[in-house]
Amino acid sequence: MLRRHPWVLPASFLLLPLLVYFAFVILPTLNSLYYSFTDWVGYGDDFNFVGLANFEKIFTDRLFGNAIKNTAIWLALAMTAPTGFGLVLALALQGKRRINTIYKSLFYLPICLSPIIIGIIWVWLYSPKLGIVNIFLRAIGQDHLATAWLANPNTALYAVFVAWAWQQTGLNMVIFLAGLTSVPTPLVEAAKVDGANYWQTLRQVVIPMLRPATVVVFALTAINALKSFEVIWVMTMGGPFNKSDTLAVFMYSESFRKFKMGYGSSAAVVLFLMTMVIIALYFRQTSKAEELYD
Amino acid sequence: MLNKRLLTALLFILVSAFLVAPAMADDLMGDFTVSHYFGGFGGEYIEEIVDEFIAANAGLSHAESPVDHEQFKTSILVQLAGGNPPDTFSYWAGARIQFVVDGGRLQPIDDVWEANDMGSQFPQAVIDNAVTYDMHRYALPLTLHWVGMFYNTALFEEVGAMVPTTWDELVDAAEKFKMAGIPAFALGSMNRWPGQFWFDMILLRTAGNDYRNDLMSGKASYADEEVVRAFGMWKELVDAGYFYPDANAYDWDEAANQVANGEAAMTLMGTWIGGHYAGLGLEPGADFDYFSFPTIDEDVPRASLGPIDTFVVSADAANADAAKAFIVHLTDPDIQAKFALGAGNLAPSLRVDTGIYNDVVARIAAEIAADPVFAFNYDLATPPPVAEVGLNSFSEFMANPGDYAAMLERVQADAAAEFAGMEG
Repeated sequence: MLRRHPWVLPASFLLLPLLVYFAFVILPTLNSLYYSFTDWVGYGDDFNFVGLANFEKIFTDRLFGNAIKNTAIWLALAMTAPTGFGLVLALALQGKRRINTIYKSLFYLPICLSPIIIGIIWVWLYSPKLGIVNIFLRAIGQDHLATAWLANPNTALYAVFVAWAWQQTGLNMVIFLAGLTSVPTPLVEAAKVDGANYWQTLRQVVIPMLRPATVVVFALTAINALKSFEVIWVMTMGGPFNKSDTLAVFMYSESFRKFKMGYGSSAAVVLFLMTMVIIALYFRQTSKAEELYD
Repeated sequence: MLNKRLLTALLFILVSAFLVAPAMADDLMGDFTVSHYFGGFGGEYIEEIVDEFIAANAGLSHAESPVDHEQFKTSILVQLAGGNPPDTFSYWAGARIQFVVDGGRLQPIDDVWEANDMGSQFPQAVIDNAVTYDMHRYALPLTLHWVGMFYNTALFEEVGAMVPTTWDELVDAAEKFKMAGIPAFALGSMNRWPGQFWFDMILLRTAGNDYRNDLMSGKASYADEEVVRAFGMWKELVDAGYFYPDANAYDWDEAANQVANGEAAMTLMGTWIGGHYAGLGLEPGADFDYFSFPTIDEDVPRASLGPIDTFVVSADAANADAAKAFIVHLTDPDIQAKFALGAGNLAPSLRVDTGIYNDVVARIAAEIAADPVFAFNYDLATPPPVAEVGLNSFSEFMANPGDYAAMLERVQADAAAEFAGMEG
């Protein structure tokens, strides 16, 4: 049997994980897609098929537009700040000095914390009167900059982003550190021998060699940015008055606060499609990078 | 002879015990699940009440799950949707219960209501508004809250402010506090709902309860002059600088603390603030007191405002018998009194002796009895999807009061869309 059908054995090993994947990923995704064509409120058995009505409505919904705008801002910031800081930290902390290990652990620490904990920590840091952010600003004579960061409609989204980026930066640093270990030392030495200074070596040798790691960082950051929810929910619940709503928060609010599960599911489908585009781009870039280095 | 009698008596007791014990156990058996949103204030009392109920019904084992007040609003509906709800749970009377009744997720308690003559135990207004939905009894009222202005008595004395009974007197008092460098009003609208009390009270005192009911049910518009006037009056107070800054940065208990600490003079809040202040060791009537939201238009009938906490039975309750027995258990006047005292609220049951209340709560009970109307606060008076729109607008107003006319046009458009969506 196994000789005639060699695929049976590996397939049997794959069966259980595939079943789990189907039950916990594929099925809920299909379920969301199904409900996005209905007016289901989230409980009860009564609902109607409304065709594409939810999708027609969502693209004229002021709050959806607001969530798209905030998600775009979030994504743009995510692709620059935690990515850039992650690279800078990795470059600064590469090497095996003892102090580097301590710093690496410190910057990696936020990854070990739950987003809920991260949110709670930063809510305290941003507290208008007792938070360390405003205390620091007042201590250096910048009282005019002290504000209610999470209640101010102009700062809420960015204040929450900083908390999220604090965690994401550590992850990016680790990926870049792993990437740096694969940069051949002779190549860097050769550049130095040829008279390249630090910046020239970095720009001409190290960063191009980091391309596979960079693709992973960009892809992971983009996916994490699109699905970021917990930190926002803990810190502002999308407020004040939707000013820090992202697509994920919009989806949750419509589904579970307004009890429009069908409509919320249509937002989930849009978010899913956006994430799929990012994943497709990621795989395309990954395969290009693999071709380059094969 | 004596031995024979003693033996007979013992035999009788043994046989009785043998016959009765299984019968009691058969009455209520199995797992019994209770979920509620009572945290610090009332949580421990609910635990005691549930424990007493379990102790009296040896066949039951129970799991009690308190959930954070804000998260409960979502989590209970997720449980109901998933078909694995608790047997009984606390819920806010009004539009929220109606919403779940409409979804077929609660079962009526008409049978135990009639069998235990509960109709005679609660005021008719409470039965009509909080208990009855679609002509059936669904909810057992456990606590009644009232929204009023709670103030720091020492600060009032310090600046020589009188307890206001009219809008002008309220503004005068606020001005006195402003002159003394103290914000008159603390508002912690981080979780949005505390802001609703300002809108509710001004609208009730200017447009009256009938108009408000029309607004809550979608028959009136947020762009109406009544609503615009209410926001306009609220704006006068905000523009004058009477509010503690950054209302949206604080939760209700932080605002309550601002009043307790003397950082602000008063806060518009529910009677549960009494439970919070009791936790801080404040003496009602001495350290803090209350006044009813002042009259604005003399010809508008007075109305009390607040939520009523109830317990309801899930349609899919695995142990509906135990849930209904628990509902009956909650009508015990001692239990109603214990919970009300613990949480600083009022017991809805007419069988509770009003002599149990402290001076502040006793006077509030008299206010409620004197007012011809008891209205539910905004997020319990209008359906949840519309309440979401309105609650956001109150936060937006506190941040940008200048744009309220344009904001109300937007709120009306969004509310109309939500009402239309519910009609399907």
